[in-house]
This record gives sequence, C-alpha cells and structure tokens, in this order.
Amino acid sequence: MTGFIRRFAVAFLGLSLMAGLAHAQMDERRAEAELISDRVSVAPGDTFYAALRMQMDDGWHIYWRNAGDAGLPPRLILKEGTSLPEDAVGEFLWPLPHLIPVVEGEIMDYGYDDEVVFAFPVTVPQDASGEIKIVAEADYLICESICIPESADVSLTLPVGAPVENAGAGAKIGEWIARVPTAFPGEARIDDATEPWRLSLRLEAGFPEDAHIRFFPFNHEISHPAAQPQRAGPDGASLSLTPDRTGSVSDTLDGVIRIDAPGAEPVGYEISAARGEIFAGTADREVQAVMPGKGLGSAADGAAPLGFERIVMLAFFALIGGLILNLMPCVLPVLSMKALGMVQAAASGRAGELKSHGLWYTGGVLISFVALAGALLLVRQATGSATLGFQLQHAPTVAILALVMFAVGLWLMGFFELGSSVQNLGGTLANRGGAAGAFFTGVLAAVVGAPCVGPFLGAALGAVIGQPAPAVIAVFLAMGFGMALPFLILSFVPGLHRLLPKPGKWMDTLKQAFAFPMFLTAAWLLSVVAGLAGAGAVGWTVAGATALVFAIWLGRQGGGLRKGVAALALAGAFVYPAMQANVPTAPVSGSSQAAFTGSYGEAAWSPETVQAMLAEGRPVFVDFTASWCASCQVNKLTTLKTRKVQEAFKDANVAFLVADFTQKDPMIAEELKLRARAGVPMYLWYPAGASEPQILPEILTQELVIGLVQG
Amino acid sequence: MILSRRHLSLAAGMAAAVALTAGALIASTAEAAPSADVGSSAPAFTGTTSNGETVSLADFAGKTVVLEWTNDGCPFVKKHYATPPANMQSLQASAAADDVVWLSVISSRPGSQGHVSPEKANELTTSRGAAPAHVILDESGDIGRLYGAKTTPHMYIVTPEGKLVYDGAIDSIPSAKVEDIAKAENYVTAALADLSAGKPVATASTKPYGCAVKY
Repeated sequence: MTGFIRRFAVAFLGLSLMAGLAHAQMDERRAEAELISDRVSVAPGDTFYAALRMQMDDGWHIYWRNAGDAGLPPRLILKEGTSLPEDAVGEFLWPLPHLIPVVEGEIMDYGYDDEVVFAFPVTVPQDASGEIKIVAEADYLICESICIPESADVSLTLPVGAPVENAGAGAKIGEWIARVPTAFPGEARIDDATEPWRLSLRLEAGFPEDAHIRFFPFNHEISHPAAQPQRAGPDGASLSLTPDRTGSVSDTLDGVIRIDAPGAEPVGYEISAARGEIFAGTADREVQAVMPGKGLGSAADGAAPLGFERIVMLAFFALIGGLILNLMPCVLPVLSMKALGMVQAAASGRAGELKSHGLWYTGGVLISFVALAGALLLVRQATGSATLGFQLQHAPTVAILALVMFAVGLWLMGFFELGSSVQNLGGTLANRGGAAGAFFTGVLAAVVGAPCVGPFLGAALGAVIGQPAPAVIAVFLAMGFGMALPFLILSFVPGLHRLLPKPGKWMDTLKQAFAFPMFLTAAWLLSVVAGLAGAGAVGWTVAGATALVFAIWLGRQGGGLRKGVAALALAGAFVYPAMQANVPTAPVSGSSQAAFTGSYGEAAWSPETVQAMLAEGRPVFVDFTASWCASCQVNKLTTLKTRKVQEAFKDANVAFLVADFTQKDPMIAEELKLRARAGVPMYLWYPAGASEPQILPEILTQELVIGLVQG
Repeated sequence: MILSRRHLSLAAGMAAAVALTAGALIASTAEAAPSADVGSSAPAFTGTTSNGETVSLADFAGKTVVLEWTNDGCPFVKKHYATPPANMQSLQASAAADDVVWLSVISSRPGSQGHVSPEKANELTTSRGAAPAHVILDESGDIGRLYGAKTTPHMYIVTPEGKLVYDGAIDSIPSAKVEDIAKAENYVTAALADLSAGKPVATASTKPYGCAVKY
C-alpha cells in the first residue's frame, strides 16, 4: 500500500514537473514573432503589406521556403477571429536566404538567422468597416544544433477609415521586400544531358567581377550540399550542379540565384531555367569566387569552428606527410648530408652548435614551403584553379629541376665543393657560414622534395586547395615542419646525438653512393621534359648539363678570367635550356596522351566517354595519371598494367579509361576539383549501372582492384 | 654495427609512419564512397546493436528490412513516437508480425542530441513501447553516411534480395505536429504493402523531412 502511494506521489511529482517544464518552454521561445503592417489604418478595397517579423536568438535559425536537406519553412496559419476572407491574405514574400552548412559537404540547409521579415499582401474587402483583424499562429521550426518546433500566437488589428501609413513598420517591411529576389533580367537554361548539369545564366549587363553565384532550388532536383563550380564568359556565367540521387528536371529548373560581390549587398534573382544547351559566352573560363564576408551566414556560429578543426586535422596529416617526404629518393641524399654534418659535429664536441643549425635548417624548409604555397596561390589566382604537381607541368621549371638534381649529384660525388661551407663535412658546422649552410640545406631539401610532394599528400592538400590563403599556407607550413622535424628533434633533445654513429670513411662512401639516386631523379625529370616540350628541349637540357660541368671545371682552374667565363657558362647552363623548354614546339599535347593510351588504356577519358560506356552497361575504371607522378607509375607497374588485373578487366568487360594529366588539361582539372582532389593519381571506379563513381585509394593493390572488378 | 642497428630502427619507424598515413588516406577515401541508390543493391553494413550483438545487413538476406534513422530528442521523431497514435510503434509491430526486420539506427555522434548508451537505447524501446528487431548504435555515422541518411526520421526499405526499394520520408506531410499523421499518406506502409503484393514500389523515393542527422 505504501509502495503504491509512493509510486503515485512520484508519478504525480513527475507529471507536475513535466507540466512546469512545458510551461517554461512556452515562455522561453528561441524567437520573437510579431505581425506588423505598413499602415496605421486602412480603407476598404486597399491592398497593403503586413509582415511576420521574427527575431531569432543568437545561433538559432529558421528556414527558407525550401529548407534544404532538413528543416521546415515557417508558416502563418490563420485562426478564428480573423475578419478577412482567406484569399485576402497573400503568400509570404521570401527574402533571399543564405546557406546553412549543417554538416560540411553532407547536409545543407537554406534559411535565415538574426532577423527576418516575411511580408505578405493583404487586401481589405470593399465592405469592410470598423476594423480588420488577423489572428494567426506563426508555426516554425527553429534550429541551432538541435531543432525545436515552436508556435507563437500573433495578431494584427487595424481600424478601417482614411488610410494612414505606418512610417516605422513600413520602412522595415520595405527594407525586407527589397531583399526578395526579383525576376532575372537575363535568360537561364539548364543542360541536364550530362552530369554535372550546367545552369547557364545569360545576362547582357554581365555579372559583377569576382561575384560568387549560388543557386538555391525551390525543389530538390539538385544535391544541396554539393559545390557549384562557377564559370564565366563575356555574356554571363554558368554553374555546375550535381543532381540529387533521384533528381531530374521536369520542364524547368526553378529557384533563386544569390550573387555575392565583394563589398556589395547580396542580390537575388528568381529564375526558371528552361532545358536546353548552355548559352555561348557563359562558360569560357573558371571563376574561383569566394563568398565574401558573412555570405555563409550562420557558418560563423556553427560550421566555422568545425572548419577550423578540419584544417587542424589536415595540417596534422600534412605534418606526417612531410615526415615521410624525408624518405623520398630525391630528398634522402640531401638530408643525409645534413645528418653526416651532425655526426661530425657531435663527434668533434661541438654539439652545442647543433641547436642553432637545427633552427636554421627548419627556417630554410619552412620558407621554401611558404614560397611553394605562395606559388600555388598565385597560380590559383591567375588561372582560377591549381592542382598539385602544377610545378611539373611547366617545362622550364622541370628542366631547371633536372639540372639542379644533376648538380647535386655532382656535388655528392665530390666533383666540386660549395665554398667553405661544405669543404669538409665536419668543417661545415664550425664555420660562421654554417648557419647559412644549414639554411640552404633546408631550402635545397624542400626544392628537391617538391616533385615528390604530390603522392602522399593528395588527400590533405586536395581538401585545402580551395580554402582561403591562410588555411593553404598553414597546411603547407605543417608539411614543412613535418619535413624538418626529425632534424629538429635530433638537434634539440639532449644526448640524442650521442646515439649518432662515429664519423669515418664510410661517410665519404655513403655520400658518393647517394649521388646515384640524384642522377636517376634527373633522368626521370628529363623524361618529363620530353613529354612536355619534346626531344629538342631534352637536348638543350643535356647541353645545359654539359655547360654546368664545363663551368665547374673552369672554376677549378682558378684565374679571374676563367672564373668569369665559368660564371657565364653556369648561368647559361640553367637559363638557356629553360628558355628552349619554354619555346612552344610541335604540338606534343594529345600525341603523348594518344601514345600512352594506345599502349595502356582502352581509350582517353572524357566525361562523355564515361557516360557512353556506362550506357552500354559496362563498368568503368578511370586512371587519372601523369608521367611526372611517381606514385601513378608505381601503381601502373605493380597493379594496373599487370596481367592479372588486365585479365580481370577483360573478363568483366571493364572500360579502362586513361586521363593523362602530364600536360595541363582543364577538363581533367575540373574533374579533380569536382572530386576534391589536389592532383593525380586519382582512380575512379563506376560499377556497371552506377552514375557516381567510387574514389579509390591513391595506393592501389592488385587484390583491391580485382576484388572490385569481380565484386 | 651501430649504424645498421640505427638504420634498422629508422626504417621501422618510417615504415610505421608510411603505414599510418596510407591507412589514414584510405580511410578518408572510403568516406567519399557513394551512398545508396534506389533500385540498386543496398550497401552492406555491419553494426553493433544496443544488446551488444554484431549484426550485418547480410544476416537478414531473405527477409524484407526496414531501416529507420532515429534520434529520440528530435521533435519529428517525437511526433511519430507520440502516444497516441504511436505511429512508429505500430509500424514496427506490424512489421514484426509480417516477418519484416526493423532496424532503428542512431547515427548521432557522442555528445550530440540522440546519442545514447546501449542501456538508454533499450530503456527508450521499453518506455516508448517500440518494437524494432534491433537498435543499431552508429555513433561514427558510417552507416548513416553509407546510406546518405539526412534526417531523423529517414526511412529505407531493402527487399529480401538485398535491393534498396525505398528511400525517403516516413509520410507525406512534413511537419512536427502529431495531428498531421492521420491526414498523411504513410510511404513506408504503402511500400511494404506493394512489396507483399508482389508489385514494384509505387513511391520509391521521397524527400525525407526532420532534424538533420547529428553526424
């Protein structure tokens, strides 16, 4: 009995607590809602604007007419007590919304934060007298990270008589009506023949320079979170739209475009894009417009810290990648020089100097990586896009790199000495010039490492490449720091250098042995030069190498005149081959892809080919590769070109397409960007009948590929 | 001698670093895999239930499977669990009666709304009178992302042959109001009826509504 009473009491207490909570919640809405109007009094037959004004708490948002992936648009439900017929109260005029990235890249909503005013026209009946009254419930879903459905009772009463404006509320409503998208003063078309769809916007007056354009659909034909890569031309602009998994265009694609130009209020236009081919002059070049300022709206409250976390995570991967760079065949020899210097210094009791040299070395690496990031940003600025390995698509750069590798090889061989700083390895650190030596070893390590940056860091850099400059620089700095880290630790952790082996003759032998990877790297870079600029450029680069040797030989003879000639020869050795490589030769473009394809893939890649193959019901494998991409070559040799894999492809009737990115190719660059990759390799696998590919790891194995094909 | 030992440990360390990075890269690529498409095979998954069991989609081959993304704190989920009319519970009960496997999936990340301990998940099942075959705790969000689940609720139906035949909302009126349930057309009921009648699912794909999944 007492048990029953206790249970009853608890239940009662619980109920009353819940009632109390419910009550508290009613009073603690996350938004204030009220009805306002641009009139103090109205005349019969008048049409005026009333509006639902909402003021949201910080961090909370409500939704546009299309809420996006989740959420619900607000509604005004007329209730009893309203003195107007239902058709006298018009629909909401929806102000231009902003993006609400709920989960970056996965869930995107459209809406408003802070304040929003939904105006709607009201027509006063001819027979109205006394007063008119709107009694309604504002029904809305309000979300922060969680969502709460709320409703507020709102009402508006206006006397009927001589019409009098309400200046204050009228101005407020006018300000928000001005933000409602107007009819597009140009023409819009949607080309949904291939994916991604292309939304072409022809506008005679043109779009403002650097304007960021985003399409907000009224329905759900497109993927809301997908990026909308933008192109422009003299007659307008176009956007690439990723269709929703089940999306299709019935007659027209309807929605709103939001134009954010730097330093201007966003502008919205309502469009109804008819199906058809895109307009000429709207997609000539890529535009990398950045949504200015508060364009992403609540991103500042919710998604921005997440973005920061992501960048920190990417920086961490970049750091590990930088560490691994130390193992690259082209970097290892340079680093071993540094290591040998440390061995010598530690052995001769000058361990104290290790610290400052460790710092100088780190500085050299970091500055070089910032320079690389800067170059990447410049390329991005100039061409609208940048991919990793861009430095290897520029023939003069590759020619110079080949010569640098050759020179480093000669130096390792002991063919010449770089001033006093490397006179003998032990002496390096003793000299005043040791700091500069350490610094330039860092620079050299970064320079020779540059060709190898791509493979391991593709994913990390791919994600960051479209980000604002500070994020790009931060990730590159992390990569440089990772590269310098082993030496930094060796320099700073006391006692660690005692673990270093004793110096001896083995150091000379090792140093000379390391020359061979450098020569091989040079040979590989020569083959890249051949692919980019033809055999002539290779000839000139080899001539440059000869001039280099000549200059060193002359320099060793001594004498002022000889030194002068040597310096000239040295300069010529680098400059002339670079100039030759820059001379446009017979069109190599296409020919290399054709040759490559003939011996390797089934056909050259293009989005149309993929669609055609898929339409035939065949699975498709696409290899995005380049002759300068080391890991592409490794994958080709160990996996793709092997008989087992080729047979598996044949058995499953796989269409094996090759996209050769050895030379710049805007179509391939766009595809890489679409898949958020910074460069090659990229492997796409479309199972038979699939419309979207699976992106495979950058390191392939036979088992993985065969497993997929037989899957 | 010292040299070789040093080199050995250096090599081992570097190999570990390579493996780590490669693993991270592969993991991050796997995330980019495409999600489920109506009409094709439902992606295979393995998850841990609130009772600590490991279940895979493959375990239910030969039976129709319903996937329900849920988050007990979400007002849209509350709408469909509100009693009366106990909409979700009665769907689950009739599914069980028809030998249809009902899997409720919780993809809320730890610390976010809807993320619950296994005990709490079971308590929710009991206290709400729910009858799913299993409650899968997917706090990594892997299964949710695999299927492209956007909202709670978000419903999927897989045929006994493993084909995905429904992806979308639970019913036709997107609101958080209980009184709308009676007026709405329930897409899951309709799809299951089509299936048991041996017909193709008439409405196979709809726009899900609700709270965003708390990945």
